[in-house]
Amino acid sequence: MTEQENILIIDDENQIRRLLDITLSANGFRTMLTPNGKEGLVMAATHHPGLVILDLGLPDIDGHEVLKKLREWYFKPVIILSVRSAEEEIIRALDHGANDYLTKPFRTGELLARVRAALRTGENKTGEAVIVSGKVNIDLANHVVRKQEEIIKLTSTEFSLLSLLAQNRGRVLTHQFILKEVWGFGYIEQSQYLRVFIAQLRKKLEDDPAKPAMIVTESGIGYRFN
Amino acid sequence: MNRKKGILRQTASLLSKGWVQYLLALLIIGVTLLFCLSFREGSDYHLVSFILLFVVSLLSTYLGTGPVLLASTMSALAWDYFFIPPHNTFKIDRTDDILIFGLFFVIVVVSGILTTRVRRQEMLARERERKTNALFQLTRELSKASGIGEVVRVATEGISAHFSPESHIILRPSHLIPRKEGELVSYDQLPETELQVAQWVFIHSRKAGVFTDQPMETRYTWYPLTGSRLNPGVVALLQEASFDGEIKTFWEAYMTLISNAIEREFLGEMAQKVRFLDESDRLYKTLFNSISHELRIPVAAIMGASDTIVNTNVSHKVLSALTREIFTASLRLNRLIENLLNMSRIESGHISPRTDWHDINDLINKVTTDLTDELKPFSLRVEIDQEMPLVRLDFGLMEQVLYNLLYNATQYAPATSEVTIRCSYSAGNLNLEVSDQGPGFPEDELKDIFRKFYRIRGSHSGGLGLGLSIVKGFVAAHNGTITAANRSGGGARFTIVIPSEEPDITGWKTPASPE
Repeated sequence: MTEQENILIIDDENQIRRLLDITLSANGFRTMLTPNGKEGLVMAATHHPGLVILDLGLPDIDGHEVLKKLREWYFKPVIILSVRSAEEEIIRALDHGANDYLTKPFRTGELLARVRAALRTGENKTGEAVIVSGKVNIDLANHVVRKQEEIIKLTSTEFSLLSLLAQNRGRVLTHQFILKEVWGFGYIEQSQYLRVFIAQLRKKLEDDPAKPAMIVTESGIGYRFN
Repeated sequence: MNRKKGILRQTASLLSKGWVQYLLALLIIGVTLLFCLSFREGSDYHLVSFILLFVVSLLSTYLGTGPVLLASTMSALAWDYFFIPPHNTFKIDRTDDILIFGLFFVIVVVSGILTTRVRRQEMLARERERKTNALFQLTRELSKASGIGEVVRVATEGISAHFSPESHIILRPSHLIPRKEGELVSYDQLPETELQVAQWVFIHSRKAGVFTDQPMETRYTWYPLTGSRLNPGVVALLQEASFDGEIKTFWEAYMTLISNAIEREFLGEMAQKVRFLDESDRLYKTLFNSISHELRIPVAAIMGASDTIVNTNVSHKVLSALTREIFTASLRLNRLIENLLNMSRIESGHISPRTDWHDINDLINKVTTDLTDELKPFSLRVEIDQEMPLVRLDFGLMEQVLYNLLYNATQYAPATSEVTIRCSYSAGNLNLEVSDQGPGFPEDELKDIFRKFYRIRGSHSGGLGLGLSIVKGFVAAHNGTITAANRSGGGARFTIVIPSEEPDITGWKTPASPE
C-alpha cells in the first residue's frame, strides 16, 4: 500500500516541519525531517524516500540548488514549498524537475491530495498506453480519445497537447514547458495559443468546461492533468 | 507684412546712429533749398522762410537735438544767402529783413528744441508704459503658472525679453526639488565656480559679480531673490552694463514679482507637505488601531479554543467545533495579512502587472473555488459572453480583485440571495461586473468607499476597510477603472473596465507538428 511510503521533509521552519510530520504520520506515511539542504541531500541518498517535500527558502543552500543536485540521480516526486506570489520561483523549480508545488499557508487537505497525486504519478510513469480520467479514455498508442465510449475528434495539435498533459498526470506543467513541447521553441512566449487550445480541449472533453475537473489551471503557473 | 516690419525696423536702427541723422538733416534741407530755388524769381522770399520753417519742425519730430540745430542753422543761413536780396550774399539790406532773419533763426531753433523735448517726454512715457505693461504681463503669467518649474520658465522668458539674453535662476532645495539642506538647485548646467557665487549670494542676501561692489569670479551679475517669509534663491544675469536709474527700478520691481511667485510656490508646497504629514499621521494611527484590533480577535479565538482542547477533556463534538473555530480564525488572519501586503505594494507604488493571456473562466473558477465555503449560502450566477476572447491581465492581481469583491458580497448580502458575476468584451475592453442583492451603499458614501480604511457608517465589525482600496489600486495598475453603484432593485454593483486588445492567434494553424 502506498500509504507506507517514506517522505523526506526539508524545511527550516520548526513549526511547519512539525505540522507536516503530524499530518503525514496521522495519514499513514512515514516521515524523515531535516532543517537544512545539505543534510536533506544526504538523507535522500541513504534512505531513498518515496517523495521529497522541499522548502525553497533554506538557510544553508538555495532550495533550487538542492533540487538540481537531487534531480541528478533522484527520479521520484519532489513537491516544492514556497511563499505566495513567488510565481517565478515556482515556475523555475517546476522547470527544473519539481512535480508540484504548495504555497504557504496551505491547507493540509490540499497537501495530502498533492502528496497522493504525486506518489501515483511515480507509479504510473512507466509508459502506460491508455490513460483514463473520469469518463475520458485516452489511447496514446492508437491516437484515439473516447468520452463514455464515444470517439471525440481532436486535431493533431489538440491530441499532442492532451497526451503531453495526460502522460504527466498529477504533475504541474508550466506554460513555457508545454509550449516548447507541443509547438516548439519559437512559441514559448505565445501563451495565447495554449489558452485557446486548452479551452477547445475542455469544451470537447470536460463535463462542465467552466469548471474543469480534468485539465486544471494552476493560476499564473501552468496546467495539471487529473 | 513681416517684410514691411523688417524694413521699418532696419530704418529705425539706422536712424538711431548719430551721423546718419546729421546726413539726413543736411540732405533734406538741401533738397528743400533746391526746390525753393526753382521759384526764387517771381515769388516772395518770405514764403520760402515758411517752407523752411515747416521742414525744420517736421525734422525735429524725427531727429535728435543736434541734427535739428544743424538743420535750423543751415536753413536760416541759406535763406539769408540765397533768398533775402541781394541774392548770393549774406548781406541784408532792409532792417525789417534783419529782424525777420533774427526771428526766423530763433523760431527755428526754439521749435526744433521744443519738439525734440516733447518727443523725448513722449518716448519716456511710452517707455514707462512698456515697463508697466511688462510688469503687468509678468504678474498675469506668473499667477497662471503652476509649479516651480513653470514659474521659473515664465520668469526666465520675461528676463530675456526685457533685461538680458542669458539668465539663470537657482533655487533653494525643497520637497519638490529635494537636495541636501543649504544646497541650491539649478535648472541649468553651470560651472562649479558660478554655483559657489550663487551660494554666497544666497547666504548673504547681497548682489555680487559683474557691476557690483562684490567682484567675484563670474560672468554674471548675481541678485538674491528675497521674499517676505523666505528667500527662494538667486538669479544671475549676463549684463552689458550696470542697471541704473529707470532700468534699475524696473528690474527691482520685476525681481520682486518673480521672488513672490516662487515664494508662493514654496509656501504652497510646504502647506501641502504639512497636510500630507497630518494625513499620513492620521492614517498611521487608524492603521495601528484597526490592525491591533483585527489581529487580536482571531488570535483570541485561536488561543481560547486551543487552550480548551489542550487543558480540558472535551468531547469529540466539542473538539471538532473548537478546531473549526481555530481554522476560521486562521483564515481570517491570512486574509488580513494578504490585504496588508497588497496595500503596502500599492502604497510603495511598485506594482508592475505581469500580464499574460488568460481565459476569464479560469479566473472566475479559481476565485469561486477559493470562496466555496463563503459562497455556499448564496446562489452564484456566472454570465460570460459567448464571444469572450482571451484577455490580457495579471492573474494574481485580478484574483485578489475578484476575491475581495465576492468576499464583500458574501459579508453584506443576506443568505440565499443572488450574487452575479457578469463578463463581456466590447471596444477593446474587458468588462467585469460583480453585483449582489445586499443593502448597497448609502448614496452619500459611494464616493468614499474606495478610500483606504474607510468603513461604511454603522457597518458590522470586522475588516480593516482595505479591501476595496486594494481592488481599486490593482484595477488602476491595469490602467482600468472601477465604479460602484446601487442597483435599482437594491444591492451593490461594481463595474470594472480593463483595456485588453484581442489576442493574436493568427499563427495557430501552423504550429510545429509533433510526432
